[in-house]
Amino acid sequence: MASSTVEYAVGRNPEMGPAGTPVPSPLEPFDAPEPELGSQTMLVNVGPQHPATHGVLRLVVELDGETVVSVVPRLGYLHSSFEKLGEYRTWNQIVTLTDRMDYLAPLIYNCAYVMAVEKLMGIEVTDRCRVARVICMEMDRIFSHLLWLGTWSIDVGAFTPFLYAFQQREKVYKLHEALTGARITTSATRIGGMMADLPEGWTKGVREFADNLPATLDEVDTLLTCNAIHIGRTQGIGAISAEDAVNHGLTGANLRASGVPYDVRKDRPYYDYENYDFEVPIGCHGDCYDRYLVRMEEMRQSVRILHQALDHLPGGPMDVEDPRVSLPSKTDCMSDMESMIHHFKLITEGIPAPAEDCWFSVEGSKGELGMYVVGDGGPKPVRWRIRPPSFVNLSAIPKLSEGHLMADLIMINASLDIVLGEIDR
Amino acid sequence: MADQGSAGSVPDFSFVASGPGRSHADAPEQEGPASVPPGNPSVTALWEQFPDGVLRNRVCAGDEDVVYIDPGRVTEILGWLHEMPDQHYDHLADVTAVDYGGGRPIEVVYQLWSIPHRAALRVKCELSLDGLEIDSVTGIWVGADWLEREVYDLFGVTFRGHPDLRRILMPDNYAEGHPLRKDFPLRGRFSRAEQTRRALTQDPEDYYMPGEIGERTPQLVGSGADGGHEVVGSGPGAGGEEDDDGL
Amino acid sequence: MGVDKPGVLGAGTPAFLTTRLDFVVNWARRNSLWPMPFGTACCAIEMMASAASNFDLARFGMERMSFSPRQADVLICAGRVPYKLAPVLRRIWDQMMQPKWCISMGACASSGGVFDVYSMVQGIDTIVPVDVYIPGCPPRPEGLIYGLMMVQEKIRGESLARHGELRAEDPLAVGRPRADDREVADLTGPFGNSTQQNQVSGLVETGAIERPEDRLT
Repeated sequence: MASSTVEYAVGRNPEMGPAGTPVPSPLEPFDAPEPELGSQTMLVNVGPQHPATHGVLRLVVELDGETVVSVVPRLGYLHSSFEKLGEYRTWNQIVTLTDRMDYLAPLIYNCAYVMAVEKLMGIEVTDRCRVARVICMEMDRIFSHLLWLGTWSIDVGAFTPFLYAFQQREKVYKLHEALTGARITTSATRIGGMMADLPEGWTKGVREFADNLPATLDEVDTLLTCNAIHIGRTQGIGAISAEDAVNHGLTGANLRASGVPYDVRKDRPYYDYENYDFEVPIGCHGDCYDRYLVRMEEMRQSVRILHQALDHLPGGPMDVEDPRVSLPSKTDCMSDMESMIHHFKLITEGIPAPAEDCWFSVEGSKGELGMYVVGDGGPKPVRWRIRPPSFVNLSAIPKLSEGHLMADLIMINASLDIVLGEIDR
Repeated sequence: MADQGSAGSVPDFSFVASGPGRSHADAPEQEGPASVPPGNPSVTALWEQFPDGVLRNRVCAGDEDVVYIDPGRVTEILGWLHEMPDQHYDHLADVTAVDYGGGRPIEVVYQLWSIPHRAALRVKCELSLDGLEIDSVTGIWVGADWLEREVYDLFGVTFRGHPDLRRILMPDNYAEGHPLRKDFPLRGRFSRAEQTRRALTQDPEDYYMPGEIGERTPQLVGSGADGGHEVVGSGPGAGGEEDDDGL
Repeated sequence: MGVDKPGVLGAGTPAFLTTRLDFVVNWARRNSLWPMPFGTACCAIEMMASAASNFDLARFGMERMSFSPRQADVLICAGRVPYKLAPVLRRIWDQMMQPKWCISMGACASSGGVFDVYSMVQGIDTIVPVDVYIPGCPPRPEGLIYGLMMVQEKIRGESLARHGELRAEDPLAVGRPRADDREVADLTGPFGNSTQQNQVSGLVETGAIERPEDRLT
């Protein structure tokens, strides 16, 4: 089976409705009759500088008492114009922009971007590079989910999982640093390969991390999964049916929590993902609790993929031998005139890409991450477009939160796992 | 929590979970110049169904089918692609636009994906610079809402029938134009001092007016195909003033 | 007085000590700096890492992240600030009580960084006064902690006698840019090669970008 349904370890609240129907929050204090007074709704502004909006998101909420009537998200408070800036950079220079967009999973963005450009230019990377990138992407999927876990647990009122998650994240920071020299802004990929080969002992460090992570996840499991407060605040909150989720364009764990097993790694496999043995967890109720379970399970599946990829990491060169993109060796540059000219031209002029367009999507940590690149035969893109998964996921928040309490809105926002750098770009 | 192994019981989408390793096997890739027949059967079906609505098609980057359609019939054609059971493009991955500069038409690009059939299709509409208007597809995919707003904000393409067509990323009172157009300079049109001054004169509470949501809700409810984006409901218009007088 | 209870400094010591007022006020201020985390982008993640257990900002008296500006002492602006966010940043700064300090964390907050584009503030020192700039993209947690210690050092040198000079605020400056037009132009002026870069890829030369409506020149 490619997918498995996540099941509750504890019984669900019996008053819950089927998936998709808005369920009144179990935390609603009492059903006292409304006094017959002339009442009007109240507007509450959340953000843009608010600790629970996970960035500079701003939500203008219309409240009837404590019940959310409507939500109007306001974006653009972190609009950094990556796409415009990309038109002024050569293909390889854009890599440094990609990790500043989603700073929670920088390596996934690095890889997705160069994979799109390589498809546009018709470059097949080496076997070693393919597996190395799979390791990078799965490691950063865990990296991103760990930050989500920390902030999610703070939003639900638990501080300890935040510290647990950050202890594991520090290990990934160190792995990033060993690989690239930077803790967050990795810029690890280049068109046709990686910035450098994997450093010595790095795979050992990844394996140690993969070995130790499940213990932390189990600890968080015991803290949260059966926790009555956690269950009460998340079960039945922000439920969306499978049809609505697809129609709203949800992807990633948010879609799979509604029971749609759409995972780009399975449905549009890239980098031999079809040969890895892993499962796609799906939920059945589409609520916040299911999104939590799905992400927790995804981390365990990523650990499985990491182990398989580490087992099968082939030797050989990391970069392709393609004169269009690969630099000649330093020795050749120093001894051979043609190599030096070639090196000079590649660096100063950049790499030409054909006048075509190409769409490449990978399964990012937030959902389907699409890269759409348009070339015109020159070394700079005509258009570099990112299909931001959390942008589209966030657009469903008015539907998800209507009828719930104000406090549930924070949980719904946390369950979507957004990153504002990518939403506003 | 041992969640593995329990089988997914989702009747509607069970045919998707047919196991790893299934890629485009049932849709053989076509390689070669752009004039060859497409790899995606939807393109052939589109040519048969809309012989005058489909302008041309090509294959990009090896295996990506691109169909250029008549901008006037975008809701009809995309709605057909969404509704027909043998097409069923239920996932609208992306709506974006491309400006090639030099006065060439702006392309509006729709990235479609069919979750049941595992097929991708890219649909493009070319809009000349003096007629940057196209019908909104929010009636087909709700998820197109913000994507179309972004294209409106950054390219200035108007989507007819969109329920809430406002700027989304730039401030509402942004006066410098549409940033992703090729004629827009990277550092903006105004000087940095002017930009700073304008930025600070905007009131952070400006968009936090009581009328805003009141205006917006009836638009969402009554968003017909030809509703336009005029203010329909009880905004701070004439009706609102009368209420104030009454109070 | 009958029972001999030891004082603060041991048995038999007096229950008072003499010191300079400046010293004790600065000692109290610098060891309980409450940060107001104005985190927007990548740097905010490093700020969170600084607060987590491995780096533990609480060691330096930043025990409590104060998410309300009215109870905060030091504004940490971590990450890029677009023009749309500028009035929010200025308002938060105006809402903070004196004494207050500001840290600009990272290249984007300090100078705009790589984002020399239409939407970004080119250094928050055009908006609010900055005490400490932390370089890096993003700075490491050690960098942030070092910056906070530099603020502590700065507090050490302050004097209540110069209160008016250091801490007086002009009520008319609320919500205004900190710098005047000429200074903004100087601070945000193009550096690097960003204005020389042309947009259309390689085959067509467009030269430097013209800004026809630039009112300054």
